[in-house]
Amino acid sequence: MINYLIRRIFTSILVLFGVSMLVFSVIHLIPGDVTMAILGRQKVSLEKVAELREQLGLNDPIYVQYGRYLNKALHGDLGVSIRNYLPVSKAIADQMPSTFALAMSALAIALSIGGVLGLLAALRHGTWFDTLIMGLSVSGLSIPTFWMGLLLILLFSVKLGLFPSISNDSSFADLFLPALTLGLPEAAIVARMIRASMLDVLSKEYITTARAKGVPERMVILKHALRNALIPVVTFAGLQMAYLLGGATIVETMFARQGIGRLAVQSILNRDYPMVQGVVLVTATIYVLINTLTDITYVFLNPKIRLQ
Amino acid sequence: MISKSSTTLFQSNSPGVRTFKRILRNRSAKIGGVLLFILIFVSYAAPLFTDKDPNKTVPALALKSPSFEFPMGTDGIGRDNFSRFLYGGRLSLRVGLVGIIIGALLGTTLGLISGYFGGWLDALISWFTDVLMAFPDILLALVIIAILGPGITNAMLAIGISFVPSFMRLTRSSVLALREMTYVEAARSLGSSDARILIRHILPNSIRMLLVLITLGIGSSILAGAALNFLGLGAEPPTAEWGAMLNSGMKFVRQAWWLTVFPGAGIFLAVLSINLIGDAVSDAMAGTNVIPDKK
Repeated sequence: MINYLIRRIFTSILVLFGVSMLVFSVIHLIPGDVTMAILGRQKVSLEKVAELREQLGLNDPIYVQYGRYLNKALHGDLGVSIRNYLPVSKAIADQMPSTFALAMSALAIALSIGGVLGLLAALRHGTWFDTLIMGLSVSGLSIPTFWMGLLLILLFSVKLGLFPSISNDSSFADLFLPALTLGLPEAAIVARMIRASMLDVLSKEYITTARAKGVPERMVILKHALRNALIPVVTFAGLQMAYLLGGATIVETMFARQGIGRLAVQSILNRDYPMVQGVVLVTATIYVLINTLTDITYVFLNPKIRLQ
Repeated sequence: MISKSSTTLFQSNSPGVRTFKRILRNRSAKIGGVLLFILIFVSYAAPLFTDKDPNKTVPALALKSPSFEFPMGTDGIGRDNFSRFLYGGRLSLRVGLVGIIIGALLGTTLGLISGYFGGWLDALISWFTDVLMAFPDILLALVIIAILGPGITNAMLAIGISFVPSFMRLTRSSVLALREMTYVEAARSLGSSDARILIRHILPNSIRMLLVLITLGIGSSILAGAALNFLGLGAEPPTAEWGAMLNSGMKFVRQAWWLTVFPGAGIFLAVLSINLIGDAVSDAMAGTNVIPDKK
């Protein structure tokens, strides 16, 4: 098991190394000269171009530039925005809590709604209720997040006037629609997973044994079946929390809500490359770290892997 | 003569035909197929259904609600929403299809090379795809757009590249199992070149699993394309595209519901129809796996 852990951590470090290289090269892969891409069609003096090249550190050999980038990034310095001259790391730190609150609320919605519906569908396997839930779940997977968000705005905000369509803080009212928009498609996935996992566990011999021993059905479901059926879902929840950080991009843009996803889109549109690099690097790093932690937790949770 | 040959074909017992028949029998595949056919037909035969130019602006007719003349109303600058919906469908469907084709071509090639040759090449390609997988959801596509700049062609490329890891991994794992098969060994001992073995013997046997991934992937690809367009990183105005139409319709969500409901429904129905077909394809392929389990 120790070998597995060491190998897993080593792979993650290699991946993070690759991520940093890819993010660093964003600025060098832009077709044409990056300073021209940033300055666009503005008429500027040669001094201004030279100043920008210096600011971006483009005059050094590429390996020196990468070494400096990595060293600074490891010390928490992600450069300075070329649009508002604020430190990138500060901008990200300011936006992160909002995205985190959104992702967590969406996950809570996904697990509670998806969990209950998936469990009920499994218990009523083959009935109209099961078919209905599975139908809703395919629809949930096919619905574009941004369209569902707009429909929710039309219903809850325009027709019923219950929640604001622009959301800016983490109060319940402001968070409700964005979190629902992000969480419902995930609920569809959770419902499918729980259903499949429960059906699998319910067909196991130890469930038949428990029933044969006369254990009340409620106990069979809650104590014997559900606990085992939840193992894959726990792993999924970990991965999904990290995944939602990326998914927040559309929802944040749509509800004009603060957050790193919206910051990423705005920076791309503004050609603020240091900001784009910073946001992408931080999000990908969090994603890799959570993935690694989830894998390691899974090893501890699952005796089959632990004993290997 | 014709009827005889067609009967022979119909009664063929080849696994491919059997699988295809199984897909045709599936109810959700039928619903999905009909739905998809209608969407493709109305998009590509748009001039049959409307004679209005999707880009012609008539400010005096701005924000008209749906009526006999404008079945889906008009937008903020008086363009006919119905013809924009029909013509927009072409682009949305094409973005999805081209995106997945790019992903499948690149990913499958990398997977074939990685799985067949192994060694440092495998390690390098696997590491590269692991790095690509470190970007959650739409983030990888955003990075690529940041590099290439916004635009519809770049959006297709970005979506394609974000599908590379899934195709690479699937092909690689299938090649790892197939390259040990006796018929591959036989081909090798007969002196076939690596390229011939990969293309003639290994690829055809991986194609079924790839087909499942492609069918299911088209739906995700359409969604990703619409998302990039919705974020303003794809089609340039005034091009009609469902995601971009939703973006411009969002400003009028309080006054004109038709500008958000119809284009969104287009994306939803397209993705739903493909997911229904995809589920049927994956059900039909289950149990017809040509690669034996390694035990």
